[in-house]
This record gives sequence, structure tokens and C-alpha cells, in this order.
Amino acid sequence: MDLALIQLLNGVQYGLLIFLAASGLTLVFGIMGVINLSHGSFYMLGAYCALTLTQFTGDIFLSLLLGVPLAFVFGVIIEWLFIRRLYDRDHLQQVLLTFALILIFNEAQKLLWGSHPHSVPVPGYLQGGFKISELLTYPYYRVAVAAFCVALALGMMFVIQKTRIGRVIRAGESNREMVEALGIDSRLLFRFVFAAGVALAATAGIVAAPLESVYPGIGEPILIISFVVVVIGGIGSIKGAFLGAILIGVADALGKVYFPAFSSSVVYALMAAVLIARPGGLFGRAA
Amino acid sequence: MLALPRPLVLVVLAALLGFAIALPFFGGPFALKLATRIMIAGIFVISLDLLIGVTGMVSFGHALYFGLGAYSLYFISPDSAAANAFVALPFGIALAAVVALAVGSVAVLTKGFYFIMVTLAFGQMGFSLFFDTKIAGGTDGAYINVRPIFSIGSQQLLNFSNRTAFFYFCLAALVLSYVLLLWLVRTPFGRVLQGIHHNEARMSALGFNTYAYKLASYVIAAAMAGFAGVLFAAIDGYVAPELLGWRESGLAIMMVVLGGAGTLYGPVLGAILYSMVEETLKSSTELSAFFSLFANTATAKWLGGIVANSWSMALGFFLIATVLAAPKGVAGFIEKFAGEAKRARPKEIAPSSGERKRASAMRLEVENLKRAFGGLVAVNGVSVQFPPNQVHGIIGPNGAGKTTFINVLSGALKPTEGSVRLENQEIGGQRPHTIARKGLGRSYQRTNVILPFTARENCLLAAQAQFPSPFRFSNQWRRKDEDETIEKALRAAGITPERADIKAANLSLGEQRQLVIAMLIASGAKLLLLDEPLAGMGPEETGRVTALLRELSADHTIVLIEHDMDAIFAAADTLTVLVEGKLLAHGTPEEIRSSAAVREAYLGEWGQEAKQ
Repeated sequence: MDLALIQLLNGVQYGLLIFLAASGLTLVFGIMGVINLSHGSFYMLGAYCALTLTQFTGDIFLSLLLGVPLAFVFGVIIEWLFIRRLYDRDHLQQVLLTFALILIFNEAQKLLWGSHPHSVPVPGYLQGGFKISELLTYPYYRVAVAAFCVALALGMMFVIQKTRIGRVIRAGESNREMVEALGIDSRLLFRFVFAAGVALAATAGIVAAPLESVYPGIGEPILIISFVVVVIGGIGSIKGAFLGAILIGVADALGKVYFPAFSSSVVYALMAAVLIARPGGLFGRAA
Repeated sequence: MLALPRPLVLVVLAALLGFAIALPFFGGPFALKLATRIMIAGIFVISLDLLIGVTGMVSFGHALYFGLGAYSLYFISPDSAAANAFVALPFGIALAAVVALAVGSVAVLTKGFYFIMVTLAFGQMGFSLFFDTKIAGGTDGAYINVRPIFSIGSQQLLNFSNRTAFFYFCLAALVLSYVLLLWLVRTPFGRVLQGIHHNEARMSALGFNTYAYKLASYVIAAAMAGFAGVLFAAIDGYVAPELLGWRESGLAIMMVVLGGAGTLYGPVLGAILYSMVEETLKSSTELSAFFSLFANTATAKWLGGIVANSWSMALGFFLIATVLAAPKGVAGFIEKFAGEAKRARPKEIAPSSGERKRASAMRLEVENLKRAFGGLVAVNGVSVQFPPNQVHGIIGPNGAGKTTFINVLSGALKPTEGSVRLENQEIGGQRPHTIARKGLGRSYQRTNVILPFTARENCLLAAQAQFPSPFRFSNQWRRKDEDETIEKALRAAGITPERADIKAANLSLGEQRQLVIAMLIASGAKLLLLDEPLAGMGPEETGRVTALLRELSADHTIVLIEHDMDAIFAAADTLTVLVEGKLLAHGTPEEIRSSAAVREAYLGEWGQEAKQ
């Protein structure tokens, strides 16, 4: 029972992390119409950023403060170099180009950090955890990560629902041509949205770094799972991504307890079920 | 429609084939193995091109079937004896096809981005099935100790462990697969697949069950990938979960795009190019030789070492450069040199037999029809009758629910309440292609014909829908009356024989509209539902199409939405006025013109003018 409870907590916390990555993906596709396979690489970038920055600053949260703006700038550069050339192209070419980006990022990672796994320390003041029973404790750091993700999610919803930029983003998601017709520079909007997506994925990578070891290819499972979340939630829907991420996180964690042999299939089966019932995802427009 | 390869393409393919045939005589074992791998990759990627380039479904999980084929050889091979290839190959094909039928029945429900992601997820599901469990060695993969042998009784015909024999077998299999797919794509069945690629809504409106067609092409492609997978497992005698994974699927997409999607031969060139580039980038000696063309030996060696060390980064840049510079791939490059395809000469048509028998048109009755979107009632309790052999206009201000109304009639939307009867038969709520089969053909506001097809091919596609055998793989089964139907339809819609063999993309807007009507007639529709057939037309074209509609009403019932008031008052026998989802009036144009209610609610100043 305790194990199930811990897994449930882990599931929610994992779901919150996936949400950070998936929200960027859903915005980039929903608004810019670009399928970005290299999204997982930005998660990896975040994790390795955490590794290097923590060696200097000594604290994961200081690394976060430094790393997120860096990731944003990196996103702007990547958009300017590659992604903007994809706006008028079909899905096939987007898939191809962003797949090629994965090859480049993976190789760059190997050159810069090597192929051994590394670990990133949990800050001293968050060592230890809450006692759940005699034998089990739940680490403070996981709770802090969950709280941080919730705060960020609330912040994002506020920005999207209540601010001017949020209104433009929502408009862009439902009708791209119209936004341009209204005199909003879509190039700037796209660059901002893409960089924000990169920053979100990197944020997830940074805060996740102390939870597991940092290793090459760390972003790939996140990429696939984020796509599943986007499909379940409905393309372009932040709300859907949030719900989908929690759903997937919990399903994955509980699947590991109850169907250990098929734990990863549970997630995909869930997606298939959602799509049969609602081909456009939970909060999506009809596909 | 996908043409047979141009002469220049044939020359290139023949040269490659000649090179491949000669390879075992001068290439070493390494070259032979690499070439075998390329042949097998070629079979795999042309099967993917059937989905991506022909039917227009970008599958990101095609490696699932490739991997399943590979694993099937492991499953069927005894521990220390050879499997019979006569059993192993069909087994691998069947396994892939059965799984594809199950997966496809779900995946094909989705489109575009969702289809990409769903196929990706199913591929990953297959991957984790082998990766997370102990089946066939789990993460470590498994070995097939003895290669399969083609044998009948004790007679050995071909042993896969003979490298040269195996290479020739794979080469023959590739050529055969290519010819087979080329043939398939050019059959009536393949024509429908291409139609779906360019315009699925149109195909559905013509009465094709597009779901079944897409599923069929998905299963065929999977079976072929499974075949390639069996062969692949026989190269090294080793299978691993990675074969089913998304990287393998991604690589296959890459080869298709690199070579040129939708050409069938292009992906094979893509597979060759990709493998050659990869091998070159991995080899520091070859790279150094390349760099020494530009720099001194020491620098060249240093550069070569660096690039070979990070070859996959170099490969990444190569791919990006290719996709940006040549979006149509190698095939696009070759076709550019080959120049424009020669146009087929228009066939002579025998003059029409003169008398036109009055075909039985259909009656449509709508009773108390209601359609709501959540709280918004777009069509609210409309009852109206459309008698046969007349032109019926539907008018109303913007947002009156006209398009929703005909969407319900054609089956694109399900009615919330009420009934729709075609010739006293209830059709409300049925699927669009079922309704189309019953004789109700519709057009859309945006003209949608299959642009890469000629006008005649468009009609051929439409005529194919009315003859019941759904999947047809031979042109020979084309009926005599099908040809007649097409010529009649083209003539009825006013498309002259010299325009009939021009690609629809090169026809004028007005002609495209006429072509839509011709397609509906050819599909056997007896009731035409037209959504703004006159929109965007100049006065001369408007006149021509209006006259055409009058003429067509001799053997069709026509229901149309139109905003051009002058045209519709002149052309229609009855007018139906919808306002805010409700039926405001129904009657002859004179009755409508003199109705005070209509004038007040809708016609406004226009009505005043018309009165004067």
C-alpha cells in the first residue's frame, strides 16, 4: 500500500515534469504548425546545463536562474538558424530536419560532456524527506520540484489567459492567418513561442537532473512521452497538456507496480483509448 | 496520377541495376554486405512510400513491421537448424499484416499530426514489448544460429548463408517489389489511394469508403516491410529491439524524403545515398582523401579524423542541407533534368448516340430537421421537399445555417433530430460515402478536384465509385459502360475533349467547378448538392454554369446554395429561404420575390430594387 502511495506521488510529480516539456511542444505545434522532434534534446540540454552550472554555483536553483535565460537565447538562435525555414514546409520535411537536429545535438553532447552518466547533487537544505511510515520517506526535493512545477503551470495559465501576449498566443493557436491580418508580426511571435518552448523543456531538464542521473539520450523518452501527452490533451491546449501529463505520469507509475512487464505499453494503450473515443484529444479541435 | 518512370529515370535505374548485378564480381565481402543491406532497406522504404507518397499518410512507426518481420525469423528458426524460407517469408509477411490490421484499424481513424504520433506510439509499444520483457532475449537481442534455406523436400534451392546468392535474391526481391508497387499504384485501387492523398473529403463524397482504402494500403505496406524485415534478420542472424524503434522509423522517413516521396523509385535512391554518405562519413581515410582535394595532407588527415569521429553530426548537417536545398529529393533533381512529361494525346470520342433518355432523378424530403452544436442551434426544425428534375436554390443571410443544412443532408454532420429521406429511404445520420453511393453527390465551397490528375482521370475515379467492387487491382476489369459514363459526364458538364486530358491544376476556376459537376455525374449521382457553385466567377462563366445547371436538371435533381441572387432567381425552380436556422419561406422565385416576410428579413434594399 505504501509502495502504491509513493508511486502515486511519484507519478504526479513525474507528470508535472512532463507537463513542462509537453506544454512547449503543444504550443510550438499548435501555434507554429511545426512538428519538433528535437524538443527532447532541449530537455537533455537542460539536464547537462544543470550538471555544469551546479559545478560552478553549487546550487541547482541558482543553475535554474542562469540556465533558463540561456536556454531561451539558445531557442532564439535555433529558431533563427533552422526552424523558421520550416514554416511553409510540410510535416515530412519538418520531421526530417528536426530529426537531423537530434543527431547534431546528441553528437555535440558527446563531444562536450562525454558518454558517461553523471549525477547532480540535491542541495543540502533539501536533503532528507517526509516520513510516511516506519520504513518509507518521501524526499523533500521531489516535493519542492512538484511545488515548483505547479507554480510554473499556474503562472503559465495566468499569462495565457490574462495577459496581452497570452491573448495573441491564444489567437494564433486558433487562427494563424487572422493574427497576421490583424497586424501582429508572426515572425516575432513564432520566435518567442519557440524560445519559450525550449526554455520550458530545459527547465524540466534542469530540475529533473538531481532526481536521476544525467546521461546521453536522456531527452528521448521525454520526447516520446511528450508527444503522447500532446495527442491525449489535444494539440495546442495547455489545459489538455496538463491533464494529459498527470494522467500519463500516474498511469506510468502505477503501471510499474501492477503490470511491471508492460509498464510502458500502459501509456500507449491509454493514448489509443483516448483517440478512439475522441480523435482530436481531450481538449482538441476535431482532427 | 503517378506516371511510369521517364526515360532518363529508367536509364539511371538500369545503370544502378547493372552495377548491382556486376558487384559480386569485383566487390569484396564488405561491399557485398553493404549492398545487401541497401537492397533490403530499399524494399522497406518503398513500402513506406506507398503510405507517405501515395496515400499521404506519414507513418512514424513503420519500423514496427520491419522489426516484427525480423523477429518472426527468430521465432520460426529452430535452434540449430535452418528454417525453410518458403515458410519463414510468408510467416513474417503474415505476422506484419495481422498486426498492421489491428493497429491500422485504430490509427487510420486519425489524420495528419495525430496519425504521425499514433503510429509513433504504436511503434514504441512494439519496441517496449521486446525491450522490457524477456521475449527473445529482451534488451540484448537474440541470435539466429542458422540462416534460412529455400528448400523443397530435401532439395536445397537457395541458401541464405551463401552471400552472393543471398545478394542476388535481395536484388531480385527489390526489383520485384518496385514493379509490383508501381503496378498497384496505377490500378484503379491505387488511383483511389492517390485521390485520397490529394483530397480525402472529395473521395468520400464520391462514395469511396476512404477508411477501408487507407487501412488496405496500411496493411499492404506493412506486409512488404515485414518481408524486408525477414531478409534483414538473415544478414547478420541477429535481431534487437532497436529494429522496431522510432529511430529506425525516422531513418526510413529520412530515406524516403531524401530520395523523393511519391515516386517509388526515389526512396531507393534515398536509401543508396544515405548509406553511402553514412559509410563515407564514418571512414576517416575516405574523408582525408576528400579533404586533401582542398588542403595539404596533414590538415586533410586531421579534418578527416575530426569528422569521422563525430560522423552523425556531419550526417545531421548533410540532411539539413539536403532538405532545405532539394525538398523533392534526388528524384526531384532527376525529374528536373528529364523535363516536362509529354501530355497524353486526347482520345477520340465517338459522337453521342443523339437521343438522351431521361434518367430518373431523385426526390429529397427533409422533415423537422434540427442540428445543434452544444447550445447553438444551427438548423432548427426545417421541413422541406425537393421534387425531382428541378433546380432548388437555398438562400439566406450569412450564418443562416445553409452550409450546416447541406452538411447534414450529405452526411458530413449527423442530425440532432428529424429525418432526411432520399426516394423515401431514410439517410439521416449515415456516413458520407454510404449516402453518396445511394445517389446523392455533393460539392464543396472550395473547389476540390484532384489537382495532379487530368480531368478525365478525375472522372474515371468518380465512375469507379459507382461500380460496386470496392478494391480493384486491374484496369482490365474496367467496364465498357464506365468509359461511356465518363465521356457522357464530361460532355454533360461542358468540358470539351481537348481540355479533358489537361491536369486539373491547369484548368481555370470555372472549368474546375464544371469538373466537380462532371465527377458527380460520373459517380452516378442523381441528386447534386452544390455549395456555391458560382462563387468567384465572372459574368460569362456564371452564365455558362447556370445554363449547364438548367440542362442537367433534365435528368438530375439539383439543390444548391448560392449568394449570387440574380443568377439563382433566374436558374431555380424553387427557392428555400433560411434565416437563423429556421425555414422562413419556400416557393417559386416569384412567390419568394413577392413575399413581404422575406423582403423584410433578408432581401432588404435588394428586394426594393428588384421590385422597381
